[in-house]
Amino acid sequence: MKLCVRQICFLFAAVLPVTRLLVYPATLSFWAKNDLLFAAGMSFVLEGAAVAAAVFLASRTQKTFFELLESNFGKTAARAVYLLFALFFAFSAFLPILEQRGFVLQVFYENLPSFLSFLPVFLVSLYACAKGLRSIGRAADIALPVSAVCFVILFLMAVTEGDYTALLPLFGTGTGILRGGAFGLPWYTGGAYMLFFLGNFRYERGAAGKILLSYAIGAAAVLAFLAAFYAIFSDIALLQQNALAHVSKYATAFTSLGRVDLFFVFALTLVLLFALCIPLQLSVHCVCTALSCKTALPALAVNALLLVLTLVFNQSYLEIQTLMTQKLWVVYACFALILPYVALFLRRKDRALPCRQRREA
Amino acid sequence: MEKNEKVLALQSGAEENVTLLKNFLPAADVLVYRFETADGKPCAAVYTDGITDKQLLGELAARPLSLSPAPATREEAEKLLLFPEIKSADDVAAAAKEILSGNPALLIEGICGAIILGTKKVTLRAISEPQTSITVKGPREGFIEDVKTNMSLVRRRLITPDLRFETLTLGKRSQTAVCIAYLAGIADEKLVGRICEKLKKTETDGVPDSSYVAQLLSSSPASPFKQVGTTEKPDVLCAKMLEGRIGILCDGSPIALTLPYMMSEDFQSAQDYYVSPARATVNRLLRTFAVLLSVFLPALYVAAQLFRLQLLPFGLLMTVSGGVQGIPLSPSLEMFFLLLVLEILIEASVRMPKYVALALSVIGALVLGDTAVKAGLVSSPAIIIIALSGISAYTVPDLTGTLSLVRMGYIVAAGSIGTYGIILLTGFLLYYLLCADEWGVPLLAPFSPLIPHDLRDSLYKADIWALSERPNVFRPKNRIRLRKKETK
Amino acid sequence: MNAAKLFVRLAAFGAAFLLLLFFSNDFGLIDIQKTSIVTAVAIDAGEEGVDVTVQIAVPKSGATTAGNVTVKNAPTMVDAIAELNLKTGWYPTLVHCRLILLGEDAAKTDVFRNIDYFLRSQFVEDTCLVAVCRGSAEKALTAQSPVGDMTYAAIEKVLSSEAQQTGLVSVNILRDFAKGYYGAAGSGFLPLLTVREDAEGGATTSSGASESASSGSPSDGKAVFDASETALFVRGKQVETLNAEETLAFNLADTDTDFAYGNVTVGEKGEPVIYSLRMKITKKLITVRTEGDLPVLHFTVRARAQVADVNRAGSPLEVAQSSIVPENVLRAAEETFRTKLSDAFYKAQKSGCDLFGVCDRLQRFHPALWKKLGTDALTAAKPVCDIKFDTLH
Repeated sequence: MKLCVRQICFLFAAVLPVTRLLVYPATLSFWAKNDLLFAAGMSFVLEGAAVAAAVFLASRTQKTFFELLESNFGKTAARAVYLLFALFFAFSAFLPILEQRGFVLQVFYENLPSFLSFLPVFLVSLYACAKGLRSIGRAADIALPVSAVCFVILFLMAVTEGDYTALLPLFGTGTGILRGGAFGLPWYTGGAYMLFFLGNFRYERGAAGKILLSYAIGAAAVLAFLAAFYAIFSDIALLQQNALAHVSKYATAFTSLGRVDLFFVFALTLVLLFALCIPLQLSVHCVCTALSCKTALPALAVNALLLVLTLVFNQSYLEIQTLMTQKLWVVYACFALILPYVALFLRRKDRALPCRQRREA
Repeated sequence: MEKNEKVLALQSGAEENVTLLKNFLPAADVLVYRFETADGKPCAAVYTDGITDKQLLGELAARPLSLSPAPATREEAEKLLLFPEIKSADDVAAAAKEILSGNPALLIEGICGAIILGTKKVTLRAISEPQTSITVKGPREGFIEDVKTNMSLVRRRLITPDLRFETLTLGKRSQTAVCIAYLAGIADEKLVGRICEKLKKTETDGVPDSSYVAQLLSSSPASPFKQVGTTEKPDVLCAKMLEGRIGILCDGSPIALTLPYMMSEDFQSAQDYYVSPARATVNRLLRTFAVLLSVFLPALYVAAQLFRLQLLPFGLLMTVSGGVQGIPLSPSLEMFFLLLVLEILIEASVRMPKYVALALSVIGALVLGDTAVKAGLVSSPAIIIIALSGISAYTVPDLTGTLSLVRMGYIVAAGSIGTYGIILLTGFLLYYLLCADEWGVPLLAPFSPLIPHDLRDSLYKADIWALSERPNVFRPKNRIRLRKKETK
Repeated sequence: MNAAKLFVRLAAFGAAFLLLLFFSNDFGLIDIQKTSIVTAVAIDAGEEGVDVTVQIAVPKSGATTAGNVTVKNAPTMVDAIAELNLKTGWYPTLVHCRLILLGEDAAKTDVFRNIDYFLRSQFVEDTCLVAVCRGSAEKALTAQSPVGDMTYAAIEKVLSSEAQQTGLVSVNILRDFAKGYYGAAGSGFLPLLTVREDAEGGATTSSGASESASSGSPSDGKAVFDASETALFVRGKQVETLNAEETLAFNLADTDTDFAYGNVTVGEKGEPVIYSLRMKITKKLITVRTEGDLPVLHFTVRARAQVADVNRAGSPLEVAQSSIVPENVLRAAEETFRTKLSDAFYKAQKSGCDLFGVCDRLQRFHPALWKKLGTDALTAAKPVCDIKFDTLH
């Protein structure tokens, strides 16, 4: 087995939540304002339900998603679905890549550096893609202590700096909550990840509870962060494009320590790197499964495609974000939220033998 | 011996056999001792000077034969000789191999073949404390170059019939004895079989040191990261074997190998088990911190100066900024240059004769350090950082070579890409190490994959009762190693 | 192609590329030796545009000195920064900028025309202190401190969190000032810095000081900085000023002040006696309640006082019992505080500045009334002060 339950738990508790600490808080503040917690909560509930559906499916079958599709619709259909998902995963990695590019260029440098500074990330992701699903789980094992320690420290540095009454009044934004929830869906692809972990981990007793508890912990951490974020910035929250790097700077601004919080931010960037590689690794996994080939060429192809896209749209983050969040959120909803439910209806056992063959057996 | 050589059989005539053997071994240190039995039959002992115990040969072989009539058969001869270790050789090559190993070939007129006597006597150094594993508390014995002595050091500590030694011979021309030691019932015997098979499938000219064996056993010999554990101390080897590892002793090398290997074991020291757990934990955390400092500090310094001044608190920034005013090299080149100087100094200090050590220390400290700063070639902060980084690497001596390579890589990454380069390189190395499974055990265990039970003896050291079970990562058959006896 | 070979070749290419970048060191990088570290920025209204003075920290042989550079009549802050680069030949970095000082003239127009540069730029922090000064900010920043500090350091000490905690100064940072500006009421406050020339010529500079005063300042005399007054802002323009006592009352009621000194005058035997009290705030709360359709701002303050000094000689018993404040003095202190707080409130209300966050509080806790009143809530609001001082018994 390439993964284990513990690693999946760590993924949901420590790796995926960090991806929602960059541009997502500012985006949510723009749409939902002080009701951002409800908007995020809505997205978490939807994604959690999708994850639960996939976990339930895992408890009922040891087959992979490909095997399930194959046994229901045939190999060709299974390949087509996998190729479709390969495209989705590559597509869903694009916004995080641009997001992290902006984060890196702001937080790691003091004058606008050359774009070359970010490009080597594709070399790392290329290498990660070649390592396969097992590296996702192993990386999650490393990410948990890093994430837990750094997040807690940053949060503790930030939590006393805010005015939490800024989150009031509740439900004052009205439809802003729904828009915030819908337009935030590009950050919620965990349901699709879980679907592709099927058959790659051994379902053990209590796994569903553990995975969902871990998911809940990750969600709680993000919600707490969002609360602190809005409490600190309130009316200027939408200006804070890289929230993770801004919330904790006030604690040490006038001490002799300087920006010591940056070290923890840098450590969390490592977790972000792992998180960035996951959809690319899954995309390559889908291509390899569909075409029954080795990882080298698909990894090269996927990373080259995204590199080209990043180069072309280097200066168009706003347009891409608007497109992905406001227009294409439906695509994310379909693949990451709805399809895990649809997968529940897939027949899990092999077709029954015809009567004559059964009598003969 | 080449395979296409004809196998020459030894004859029954002593002189004839001497001629055959001397033709096969023309070297000047292969000598012949001729004597006669009581009834005048010629005998000869062909031996290698310097590695044969001539006194033993004379007392226990030549004397009884010269006082008795010539034995008619080999069995009669073996009864006459008072050797605990006697073998026979029927062909020239086999006899030559034994002669070259220090075991003389006894040729008696009328007896076909040769009788091989176990009189090897090699001048070895004394058992002493190894320089790379010095402990304040604990045993001070270290392995030496003789595999039999090393085996005896292990045997002395593990007085159990479960201790097994599987011996192989590696190297066509060196005929190096390699001994695989393990505890039956604890170690994975399938793994022992795989190791033996891998070594047996290897044809090599010679194995001068165990590091050759380590490279033969590694799946990625070109990797800068170790894949085989090493130790020079018998107590450490025994402790590792008791955990479920397999030890490999190689004749001619004082360094024993252990498999499977995990990177965390290099952060453990023998002394950790001889002092209190709290002290051991502090030491391990210190080592970990020192390694991180050694690798990251120079890179962070370069990155902070070139890319992210805000990493430095204002007061420190002013000090650093004042220090680098007028330095002709950029921070990255300055650090690279100093690192190069450090590596040259370390390399030279290992090789130089002791009588010039003092002069070189003066050059290193004063000229390259103090004078270079005063001349404005390098800055004081850079010197401090490189010195701290260099010293910190030696808290984990087994990883020093790897750390200096990795450190160089980080400086290049930091100087070219910046602070993000450090993250990217860390990510790349982590992905490399995460998926490195050597002999079924992940290199980064027990951290990745996380094995909670084994964490008790990783970054922190639990007390002895908490370590009552063997590490889960080796999947030992017999898990319990410590329990309280039930009193009646 | 064999995957292993592919990766080895890619790795070799990557390493070669990295080494090339490393040794060329040509990324458009700015070396630390060519960087000027800006520690403070002073902004004045120019004839056409904005006058910007920056104080640069210059490290020199174990000491840090300051250099001041002024750019006149720049159209925007970015132009001013670019011109600094031209003038000095060094690339200015504002990551360590700790102070933004606004001149009196600049504060008469919307200050965010200039200081929102600090919010726009990704490479400038919003943790810096902001203050407005009487007269020219350039003169304030180039004044010499009597203790030999760099000017920005001297001003920073005056505006420190310690000063805030003792209620002497109303400290504000750019983030909070921006939150007020972009909030519903568009209000904010800044400490008002007054530069006073030291008549004696200043104390001798301490030996071994790691920082020395800037050279080239227009005045030879030493300057002392006083920030006991507070400037009130509406929509980025200064509209009113709170005096020192009103500032103290504001700090005791609303900000992070939890320990302050204040004077109370009581009549004793027909003569006014001044008691200096040391006050420890044990509770402070501001709530907005509604009475009918009107917002009422409730100030609840509880403090414990001790006598620090009296301007008459006391008996030995009185001196020994300094921690016990007479009842009449406590009541007088309450009345003084109440009066000053009300004065501050009404001053702010009259000028249109929502100093105490009436609009925000109404929006959060009484959204229906906020919807009805909007920003008129400020003019409709009334203060109710529940202030009690206590002493040790």
